[in-house]
Amino acid sequence: MALEQLIVNGLIAGAIYALMASGFSLVYNVLKFLHVAHGAIYVVGAFAGWWLARVVGVPLPAAIVGALVLSIIAGVLVDFVAYRPIRKKGEAALLMISFGVFIFVQSLVLLFFGADVKSYGLPIERGLDVAGAIITPLQISLIAISLVTMAALHVFLKFTKAGKAIRAVADDAEVARVVGISPERTILVTFILSSLLAGVAGVLVGMEQNIEHAMGLSAVISALTAAVIGGIGNVPAAVPGGFLLGIVENVGIFWLPSGWKAGISFALLIIFLFFRPKGLFGGKTRTV
Amino acid sequence: MVFAYIANLLALAGIYGIVGISLNVAFGYTGLANLGHAALFGIGAYVSALLALSLGLPFWAALLVAGLFAAFIGWLLAWPTARLRGDYLALATLGFGFIVESVFKNWMDVTRGPLGIPGIPKPELFGFVFASTESYLLVVAFFLAITYFVVKRVVDSPFGRVLKAIREDELAAQSLGKHTHRYKALALALSGFFAGIAGSLFAHYITFIDPSSFTIFETILAFSIVIIGGMGSVEGALIGAALLTFLPEPLRFIGFPSAIIGPARQLIYAGLLIAIILKRPEGIRGEYAFGLGEKHAKSKQA
Repeated sequence: MALEQLIVNGLIAGAIYALMASGFSLVYNVLKFLHVAHGAIYVVGAFAGWWLARVVGVPLPAAIVGALVLSIIAGVLVDFVAYRPIRKKGEAALLMISFGVFIFVQSLVLLFFGADVKSYGLPIERGLDVAGAIITPLQISLIAISLVTMAALHVFLKFTKAGKAIRAVADDAEVARVVGISPERTILVTFILSSLLAGVAGVLVGMEQNIEHAMGLSAVISALTAAVIGGIGNVPAAVPGGFLLGIVENVGIFWLPSGWKAGISFALLIIFLFFRPKGLFGGKTRTV
Repeated sequence: MVFAYIANLLALAGIYGIVGISLNVAFGYTGLANLGHAALFGIGAYVSALLALSLGLPFWAALLVAGLFAAFIGWLLAWPTARLRGDYLALATLGFGFIVESVFKNWMDVTRGPLGIPGIPKPELFGFVFASTESYLLVVAFFLAITYFVVKRVVDSPFGRVLKAIREDELAAQSLGKHTHRYKALALALSGFFAGIAGSLFAHYITFIDPSSFTIFETILAFSIVIIGGMGSVEGALIGAALLTFLPEPLRFIGFPSAIIGPARQLIYAGLLIAIILKRPEGIRGEYAFGLGEKHAKSKQA
């Protein structure tokens, strides 16, 4: 495949990674644990959109809104049932329960909807030729939606009261509490936001590709890799992290067989963990 | 027929029991959340299968080499543990696990990728072939006993007390003059050794291996075994392995189709993992609950 095409493919993948990574990074910054079940919320979003549009038969825009609402409900529910009771028990307990939730939700989706690959059934579009690469209008809007969502997230965190509360808790939960910021309320807003982002990513992937119950694992692994590359203490940095991961992964198969695509991103993860645990754009690191 | 069925479950429970005990050395005793544990199990399986098939090594030698090789890889894994801890260690070992899985899938010339390796020979001793399920159960029981006694010896020794000290407070252990990195490396090597042996037992039992048996989900299964049984308890890992092997079996008798049994099995062990962490974090037999120390679990039991 031509290099131009691989870069475009990398941008498309990167748009999704950026969405996933920023939601993952948000939870990490506020609660300081690896929210693996983020991948399950993404599966819920993708399947809710497919179910509403194809099984229930509501129009696509309504299905999308419904899917996002269901993603948020799923995310808040996970926090409420699984994380909240063990908030103070440390990162290992939270990480393990997060894996438990991930597998639980993925198995439920498999039980209810089966293992076959599903499609939103959108009409196939003719690709446009952009600088020697083929890209469909849907893919262009996917990248645009991702960038706009990221910008909106940035504005939210920077300028709204709830956004500032999130940044304050992320910075120092104790001090935030002392100045009167409610930690539980802030955590609720964090899960609403992060689950919305996962839902958007799930629906976009559903519209652009096929979906299956097992899609959550690679999504959350890419999300955490992109978050580490950008700098895990830094939510906006997840965006360049996501795009960089998408491009490196796709351009990498210019030289290596395509089966190694996943291996490339893990190698990148390990290289960053060893040599630049702060990521590209700094942020705080918890290594000692 | 009934006995072969039960023997099969016992053999699998025994193999996963070794996996659980080996993970317990790293996670339950030393506090190292090695999310690449299934990779060590897989390395043991592949090394043993390849040695037996291409070099014609007898099972017993292949098993030993597989254990030693997995121990070496576990020891290498200790390199990141010197610099990383907590979440970063989890991330690094997760990445390690995926890279190994990627190698299993893509190194076609050696591992045959997703096609897997068929025809792995059953063990043989003085002309007797352990071909039947019942006889293989003896082999598993033999290595399970060795694992049990060796690990039990190690964790109750002064060496084991240093491991627990690292889990509780690494800085304090260092201030007592312990080279904690060296201890962590040995813990991971020991963990890798028995994981590799379990992998070898698995490969020669099933006689076919492919990358799908050594994924992150097997790692989480191993963690479930340890957490459900009780972190830092050798017996707990055995109880956990037996529980997770036998508990989903009734599904088979209710007559669910196999398309439902697979996900239902996952649902059961994930649900059990969640419930245990929420309601009884020290597990069934544990003396230790996530970062809360031994005192907490003991006072709760009293």
